[in-house]
Amino acid sequence: MAANEEHRMLQDLVAKFVDRELIPLEPAVLKREANGGKLGLSDEERAPLLAKCKELGLWGLDSPEEFGGANLPVEALALVNEELGRTAVPFIFPPDSPNLHMMMQVASPFQKERYLEPYARGEALSCIAISEPGAGGDPAGMTTRAVPDGDDWVINGRKIWVSNVPQSDFIILMARTGEGKRQEGVTAFIVEKGAPGFIIEREIQMIGGRRTYELVFEDLRVPARQVLGQVGQGYAPMQLRLNVRRIEMAAKLIGMSRRAMQMMIEHVKQRVTFGQKLADRQAIQWWIAEGATKMHACRLMTHNAARTLDAGGDVRGEASMIKVYSTEMAQEILDNAMQAFGAMGMTKELPLQVMANQVRVMRIYEGPTEVHRMSLARRILKEGI
Amino acid sequence: MKLLVPVKRVVDYNVKVRVKADGTGVETANVKMSMNPFDEIGVEEAVRLKEKGVATEIVAVSCGPAACAEQIRTALAMGADRGILVEHDGVLEPLAVAKLLKALVAKESPDLVILGKQAIDDDMNATGQMLAALLGWAQGTYASKIEAADGGLLVTREVDGGLERIQLKLPAIVTTDLRLNEPRYASLPNIMKARKKPIENVKPADLGVDVTPRLTVLKVAEPPTRQAGKKVASVAELVDKLRNEAKVI
Repeated sequence: MAANEEHRMLQDLVAKFVDRELIPLEPAVLKREANGGKLGLSDEERAPLLAKCKELGLWGLDSPEEFGGANLPVEALALVNEELGRTAVPFIFPPDSPNLHMMMQVASPFQKERYLEPYARGEALSCIAISEPGAGGDPAGMTTRAVPDGDDWVINGRKIWVSNVPQSDFIILMARTGEGKRQEGVTAFIVEKGAPGFIIEREIQMIGGRRTYELVFEDLRVPARQVLGQVGQGYAPMQLRLNVRRIEMAAKLIGMSRRAMQMMIEHVKQRVTFGQKLADRQAIQWWIAEGATKMHACRLMTHNAARTLDAGGDVRGEASMIKVYSTEMAQEILDNAMQAFGAMGMTKELPLQVMANQVRVMRIYEGPTEVHRMSLARRILKEGI
Repeated sequence: MKLLVPVKRVVDYNVKVRVKADGTGVETANVKMSMNPFDEIGVEEAVRLKEKGVATEIVAVSCGPAACAEQIRTALAMGADRGILVEHDGVLEPLAVAKLLKALVAKESPDLVILGKQAIDDDMNATGQMLAALLGWAQGTYASKIEAADGGLLVTREVDGGLERIQLKLPAIVTTDLRLNEPRYASLPNIMKARKKPIENVKPADLGVDVTPRLTVLKVAEPPTRQAGKKVASVAELVDKLRNEAKVI
């Protein structure tokens, strides 16, 4: 059987899961968020979903087979993410894997057994702390410092914008261990939940239903066996995963755009203003034509990059293009859909506002749009087109 | 017990069907195609019979263009053991499909054939009954429940005004109704396993069946669009319109 036939069946499976299991939960999830709660599933809602995922094998989709995963190519992951993007219900098939591939590259046998295996099985959660109040995308300003002391490292400093902290069993903490420009001299440490000196300073409410945390480290002692990878070379393994993340994000944005377009199309065909259907007005028709064209372009770019990456190619330039294009496409489509819905589009009853805010956040994380444009331009000016 | 389960490739039930501009049929190019939902219920029932230990082997069959392999593969991912594609690019009428299935029955010797009661494309509701007649087998159509009983099958049928239970001797034909079961999702591990299951490719000529159409489609047209309703000011006006415009009273 051709791989794409398998992918088609996988996409069908995920589409059914989204339609039958996730979208029915959307009104309750949106209502809680509108009433000041967190945008998320309750434990009672999540447990049966996780059981269903186990039953359907929607578990460890990008984990290696040795951890019971499906080890799917990036192209298949793009299809999965497009379907998941169609709902404002935040859900990912376990394990939450951004750190997985980083750890697989460099984890020691001790770390594999203690951290990676439970994580890959979906039994443990993790997060990663990189940014600091004075140092975001550029690590040159990083001041969190780890100093060797006997068999341990002692860490002092502060991190910000870290997601998923309270749920995490361990965090990957980037700290300076030596001098150097930009990324040189930065080491990755695994820090366990509840370690003395690891302080969750505050919770920060973000738009799009997200929460992040500011963390403080005060004489936090970390045993040397919890150094992830080589001392002074913490960045390289982390960057391995960035291209996949960007492709997955773009696919998710295509899914969000698809939902917004579908909602808009359904609405404009029946909504009449001043004696005419919205669908008969040119302004609306152009939104629809532009939106469909951009989605098509974005899907082609995303799948092309996924295939190139699956074949072992370099997609750094394409990944930047996709990151910029997909976020701007989705922002425009969601904004147009909200506009077409009029006052209804401004309510918290529709998923559009949550998605629009999520897209707004996505223009910042995994590299702000301007940084991607800058690095793309530099690359093109140097290498030509 | 060996089962034969035919599965038809049809326009997906979510797709709004459009008539071709020249009126020769409906548009199927660039349209999402899926397994006929009643056939999906048939595959699910077959897999349940196998899980209960009643059935031993499930063979999924599809008649039509090469792309029908997709629907066979979906059946394999749901739990069928192997597939047969009867490849033919032209029109296949119910009688032609029934004859092809009869030839496959002769080849495969199943004890039971489970078909959808109808396909959602042309809604013929004919193939199962024709196959039963051609084979001279017992048939239980519109099944909402199938149980193994006394070496045969006890089939609950949805009929006008209620349910009818009939006892079938094997071999037999069953056609599925909507409420027989809810088909499962094909799980990811089973999608992967389906890759290794064999699909045999045959042509109608290999089975000695002439599938030349016997019917000529004159024209396919969309139903007329509904006219907008009218508001009337009084009962008198309503009665007047019913009598003189609509001419129904």
